[in-house]
Amino acid sequence: MFNTIKSWLNERRLNQQKAALKDDAYAYLFEPAQAGCFVCFDCETTGLDRNNDRIITLSAVKIVGDEILTSQGLNLVVKQEQEIAEQSILVHQIRNIDVEDSKSAYATEQDAIKAFLAFIRGATLVGYYLEFDVAMVNRVIKPWLGIELPNPKIEVSELYYLYARREAKRSCIEPNIDLRFDSILKHLQLPNFGQHDAANDALMTALIFVKLQKMGLR
Amino acid sequence: MAQAQQRDFLSQITPFDELPQADLYKLADSMDVSYFPEHSKIDLTSSAHGGYLYIIIKGKVAEIRDGAIISHYSVRGFFGDAEIFAKADKKVFYEVLEETIAYKMPAAIFLKNLEGHAKFSGFFNTSIVDKLNRVHQTMQAAASTEMMMNTVCNAPIQKHVSVKEQATILQVSQKMLAVRSDACLVEYDDGSVGIVTNADILRMVACEPHGLLTEPGVVGKIANKPVHSVHEFDYLFNALLKMTRYQIDRLVVRRDDGFAGFLHQKDLMTLFANQPGLVLLKVEKVESIDDLVVIGPQIDELINSLNRKGIKTHYIAKLVNELHRKMIHKLIEILLPQVLQDEVCIFVMGSEGRSEQVIRTDQDNALVYSDDLAADQLSLLDQFAADFTAAMQKIGFPPCPGNIMLSNPEWRMSISDFKLKVENWFKNPSDTNFMYAAILLDGEAVYGQHEWLTEIKQTLRQKQEDYPVFLRHFAVGALQFNTPVGFFGGLQADSGKDREQNLIDIKKGGIFPIVHGVRCYALEAGIEQTNTHWRIKALMDRGIFKQEFGIELGETLNYLNTLRLESMLAQVAEGVEIPDNKVRLASLNHRQQDILKQSFAVVDVFKKRIVQHFKLESMM
Repeated sequence: MFNTIKSWLNERRLNQQKAALKDDAYAYLFEPAQAGCFVCFDCETTGLDRNNDRIITLSAVKIVGDEILTSQGLNLVVKQEQEIAEQSILVHQIRNIDVEDSKSAYATEQDAIKAFLAFIRGATLVGYYLEFDVAMVNRVIKPWLGIELPNPKIEVSELYYLYARREAKRSCIEPNIDLRFDSILKHLQLPNFGQHDAANDALMTALIFVKLQKMGLR
Repeated sequence: MAQAQQRDFLSQITPFDELPQADLYKLADSMDVSYFPEHSKIDLTSSAHGGYLYIIIKGKVAEIRDGAIISHYSVRGFFGDAEIFAKADKKVFYEVLEETIAYKMPAAIFLKNLEGHAKFSGFFNTSIVDKLNRVHQTMQAAASTEMMMNTVCNAPIQKHVSVKEQATILQVSQKMLAVRSDACLVEYDDGSVGIVTNADILRMVACEPHGLLTEPGVVGKIANKPVHSVHEFDYLFNALLKMTRYQIDRLVVRRDDGFAGFLHQKDLMTLFANQPGLVLLKVEKVESIDDLVVIGPQIDELINSLNRKGIKTHYIAKLVNELHRKMIHKLIEILLPQVLQDEVCIFVMGSEGRSEQVIRTDQDNALVYSDDLAADQLSLLDQFAADFTAAMQKIGFPPCPGNIMLSNPEWRMSISDFKLKVENWFKNPSDTNFMYAAILLDGEAVYGQHEWLTEIKQTLRQKQEDYPVFLRHFAVGALQFNTPVGFFGGLQADSGKDREQNLIDIKKGGIFPIVHGVRCYALEAGIEQTNTHWRIKALMDRGIFKQEFGIELGETLNYLNTLRLESMLAQVAEGVEIPDNKVRLASLNHRQQDILKQSFAVVDVFKKRIVQHFKLESMM
């Protein structure tokens, strides 16, 4: 009963979004993708304020079955109007000069998001603390297309939480589950590619997803 | 930025590193990432997996034919090329032994690169003919030295399997088959262990009546002892050295709480490249002096690359000295006439004896022979001594400036004469005789009757107790050079020309006082180790050095040795034949100079300790 209501609500919301879409060219966002196909994505931003900070790089990679199609990955760089602050350079290690040097950099966030939308189409989105990355994209598309990303979303830290709960099922102690990105990688014995840039993070998140999916979660 | 990781990874793999950068990057960008769960099968003839080359990022994959593993692939190993060239055996399949993540490269773009890149395609053309050879080369030299300094648990380890001594041959065989192992540990009731291999079982089945197959306890009788093992956190090069030393194909891998499995020489070899990892094995296969001549420069290359990887000089020295001793041992085997084989003991002394010589700067060696050699044997021995010293020079060990070499009759004596010689050092103490005693104390036998050297060292210790004043005079030697620190705590070159060029003799200023000081403490305490680090460890174990002090002293020595090694490597690269022990201050950055100052401060503290401990105030 609960599920029926949930899916009905979902459908209603989707229909509202569809009606609100300002540009029909983007109707493909509402078409479901082929089964077993997902898109994992990650942004590096100028900060953590989803209303005022900007996207610097955005990487997305497709997952089909047990494979991660890195050869067709999307790696976008956005030119910045303001200098990137020192604190955030320390986090993502993208210096101002790296953005200026990048030949393929997009002039505005909107141009970059156009390429991103064409890449994801209606696919299910996968990410680690995905909500933030989605909010960064929504901030751009809401005033422009009148909608927020309508794609189904999967949060890997949630999947991992379910996995960790399942692993600890036989124990009577409430497990202390560490949801930090590096801890998840370590626990799942996945390779850590080191430098956290958007492309590596998207790839590592995709690996977490593939492995958890293989273990029957989701 | 985006594909940097992928490109970096591929450029570390032979033969892809032969490709021009643009082509290499195109290949790298064409790769996808595949995930294979443990125990899954990869069938390269199927449409799902075929048509790709797989390069392992993490995990282990076995190539299996007729139920037997014919190859292991692990990190940076690649497979699928034989299938792409359609030269693969149809009966082969791949099984994932440990959850694997691999890059997959489409066959079409891979094949395209074979055209026009002779070295790249040559690798595959010849390698298909000789598969084993190819596997040896899958790793670039740099990657393979990295592997060598990796720990055993990173290598493909065959699953652990064991039985009690009461088990039947049938049970053992079934157990081994179940995990595809070709060896099995046998646990005895008395707590000891033995090992049975499939060769043992084959021999047993062929030669013994068949009833024994199911009879309990036979396994306990046919198992081999002792079992040679290696700890899972030991270095891979130590595992390889152990295998060559005992001439065995496999080692049992130990854990702190039991056994982890088996490590095979074949699998170990797949982790090493032809050079420089294989230098270790080449020494074993030497047949002539010319073979030895080739090995010298390869060892130098190994030193260079290990140093670039930031490996502690102490470990480099350990590996290199093991190799040097093997070379010397081989040389003696080639040159020494058979009639003399049981009549001599040959030992290396000084830095070589302590396993602390990294760049071959000189040789200190000596020979003692049995007291009752006939005249014709003596003349054979003289000839051998001359040949040996000449050959040593030829294979890259420069002659000793003090002529402490077995070609000098002073260092080639009968055992009785040599003991008399040692006693004379004590009767006629002089700086030279102190130096001889110090050099001899560091001696390690490399060939022949090892116990003769032990006897001679016992004589030396005995005499030192008879002449208590000797140790005090001996210890003064540690103070003979000034620590190169100026009045205001700055680094200061000694004098004259060195001061003009700002050169610091790091051996006189720091290494020698530590080495000699530790040697004095070791002599006093009757410690038999010769390596300075092991001596320090032994002194810590006996409570003579406090834990913190011993560690500080060892690390200081390591740092000074590293600076010296780097300076020597730079000199060798400039074409200097025999590099000196001096370090150019201008070539050190601020931080290095800072640590150097701190190191000399530790040396000064140690010198003060020596003065107090050996009561040297009155002698200065």
